[in-house]
Amino acid sequence: MSEASRVENPYNEWINDNISHKKAGDVWLALTGYRDGQIKSHWLRANGRIDEVKTACMDAQFASLTPSLPEVAWDEREIHDLFGYHPKGHPDLRPLVRTPRWPASFYPMQKQSDDHIEWTDVEPDNPAKVVEGEGITIMKVGPTHAGIIESGHFVFSIIGENILHLDAHLFQNHRGVEKALESLSVQEAKPLISRICGADTVSHQYNFLSAVEQLAGRKVPEMIEWQRIILLESERILSHLNDLAQIPAGVGFTVAHQRGLAMKEMWQKGLSAIFGHRFLFDAMYQEKLAVSKKEQLQQLLASFITQWHKWRKLADRQQGFHDRMRGVGVVKRDDAEQLGAVGVALRAAGVSVDVRTLMPLYRHNRIHIPQVTGGDVEARFQVRLQEVEHSIALIRNALEHLQGNQQDTSWSIPDDLTGEAVSYSESPHGLNAHVMQIQNGVILRYHVKSGAYRNWPVLAFAVAGNAVADFPLINKSFELCYSCADR
Amino acid sequence: MELWGVQIIGVVVAILLSPLFVGIAQTVKARMQGRRGPSLWLGYHVLKKLWAKETTVPEYSSWIFQLAPTVSLSALIVIALFIPWGGQVPAGWPHDVLTVFFLLALERFWVGLAGLDAAGTFGGLGASRITTLGSGIEPAMFAVFGLLWYLTRGSLITPIMPHWWSHPLNMLPWGLAVLGYALVAIAELGRLPVDNPDTHLELTMMHEATILEYNGRLLAESQAAIAVKFTSITALGWVWLGPSLTSPWLNLVLRVAELALSSVLLGVIESLVVKLRYFRLPTYLGIAIGMGMLAVYLVAFQGGK
Repeated sequence: MSEASRVENPYNEWINDNISHKKAGDVWLALTGYRDGQIKSHWLRANGRIDEVKTACMDAQFASLTPSLPEVAWDEREIHDLFGYHPKGHPDLRPLVRTPRWPASFYPMQKQSDDHIEWTDVEPDNPAKVVEGEGITIMKVGPTHAGIIESGHFVFSIIGENILHLDAHLFQNHRGVEKALESLSVQEAKPLISRICGADTVSHQYNFLSAVEQLAGRKVPEMIEWQRIILLESERILSHLNDLAQIPAGVGFTVAHQRGLAMKEMWQKGLSAIFGHRFLFDAMYQEKLAVSKKEQLQQLLASFITQWHKWRKLADRQQGFHDRMRGVGVVKRDDAEQLGAVGVALRAAGVSVDVRTLMPLYRHNRIHIPQVTGGDVEARFQVRLQEVEHSIALIRNALEHLQGNQQDTSWSIPDDLTGEAVSYSESPHGLNAHVMQIQNGVILRYHVKSGAYRNWPVLAFAVAGNAVADFPLINKSFELCYSCADR
Repeated sequence: MELWGVQIIGVVVAILLSPLFVGIAQTVKARMQGRRGPSLWLGYHVLKKLWAKETTVPEYSSWIFQLAPTVSLSALIVIALFIPWGGQVPAGWPHDVLTVFFLLALERFWVGLAGLDAAGTFGGLGASRITTLGSGIEPAMFAVFGLLWYLTRGSLITPIMPHWWSHPLNMLPWGLAVLGYALVAIAELGRLPVDNPDTHLELTMMHEATILEYNGRLLAESQAAIAVKFTSITALGWVWLGPSLTSPWLNLVLRVAELALSSVLLGVIESLVVKLRYFRLPTYLGIAIGMGMLAVYLVAFQGGK
């Protein structure tokens, strides 16, 4: 951006502040729109503090950050679709969340409960970005797929056996989660928060509790903190086991696939017996569980570790499998940073960012970040292998601290909770951030930005230039969640 | 007269047992994955179920789509007729391996056409892949059968095994031909590491992608064709490279046992390997071609038959 345009631009503070945070290496948490026309962006600094940058819409317009920070492209489109605020200068304002059935003036986040909506009756037709030219084929896959997965429509531009471009149309089901959370009390919101996503539910529960506790000024007893670590790491193992088992399926390595799934099932059954739910829904809200079930947890961990070593040997020894993963779906370090990749995808590209190192919860633990640089499917596989083993170590350490008598930890949420809190955690799929605005105990605005949401555009980038037949393999190495994009 | 009986009964038994042989391979795979696996007879249940179902065809498909499964199943049954089930064929019975190659090409051509005709997303991709692969399988087949031509000065399917027990040095070319044929057969049958018949991932499919649009009776025919193909191609290998007995009836029993053994071996191989990159397949077929040619050279240098 030239000097002249900086002076003319009334939004230069908004744009420049955000750019300088990015340049300082801060972690971008969320871009949140509000009904009163405010737009806030939150940055997590290297010292663990959260900075807020804000702007206000003028004539329902705000300055787009996308030209300088491409990672916010989807967030701005989402605000455009849900609030009707126009991000000026955004290069691609095709509908992201919007479906053609919504009437023109309908913006879900602006909706009042007594508004009457006339759904228009049209066929879904979202324009796709494709490559045109001789010999180029457009291949559309989904939104319904073989296998038990959620809805996602993928438009590939292919030439021969090579992918030139992938346009991923997610957001196929609009759930209205954020809208549904508004006007709920903290107690009422709890089960809904648990069910935002089946893969990262513990992380969502943690973020919610953390936001509430920040506002209430609660000092969380250490025993409960250890239990939270156990839950977060158990979920990481569960999710990584699933992803590790799915990657071999992409190359027909069925023995590792099936045995991996069996191991995941054993872990999941064990967790379900201890915490009462296969997906750990609502597990973190019960604060006394882990202490009473300590022995059960230790047994589960011991039998899991035996299976884990066997499986790891099986996967390590199959050279053809590793050959298929190398050099495929590469995301280089610079691209990962520019596109705002998070979690496994970011660490596999050689960037040592894991927000667990900044979370006060983990202050007594040293977080080991895998040193992997390839950025390919193999790198993402290796990162997950190492993280599972690190999570085992973290759970073991936490179990050692779960000793002694349980003090009285009962705590009730104050009725008049008021304010705004931003919370974050490292979910199995990467950085997960929540923004909560609450007044007199009633939620005014709730915004969720999960790891999978950020990594979808990275996947589309990683796929370009690879063979069509490698797409399932690359896709599984990210193993992103569809419901995170079903707003 | 005895040869006629063996040949006709052999063909019927082999075709009827085909789904069982596929089932054996599936069970072996399941066991290696730590699963119990479905019943050995699943193939028959599926055929029966599909046969009883209503058959629908894509709106824009032509007669080609409806005829293709019948053509490919017929071509494969004819190949089964060409196999000398009793070790040798009755007088005047056709058993030229060149016709077998032609029938395989015919089958591939029709399967590919059907994939294109349905105009589905994946059919074209699958058709392109199987025809590309086919252009490598054909020369590999010719190269591997080079040994048969050199030894018998003809292309009739005849056991060459008796030639090979006379001198230990002869085992080397024979071994090369066996490995070469195994590689080509796996490619032709669309098995791992070339193609994965068990995947649900359409983007990685080759042969399966071409029959995705089928259902009901047409799918039953396509499934039966896959099973008959397994029997025919495997038996073909055993006939010319494997041992043979003097009694035609014992030969037939031996063939069935060999087919069952091949199913077990296939299940084990498919559990040990992963699918190759598509662009690696020319190398894979190149190795088969090399083995076939080397076998001929080795025999030629020994100066003998």
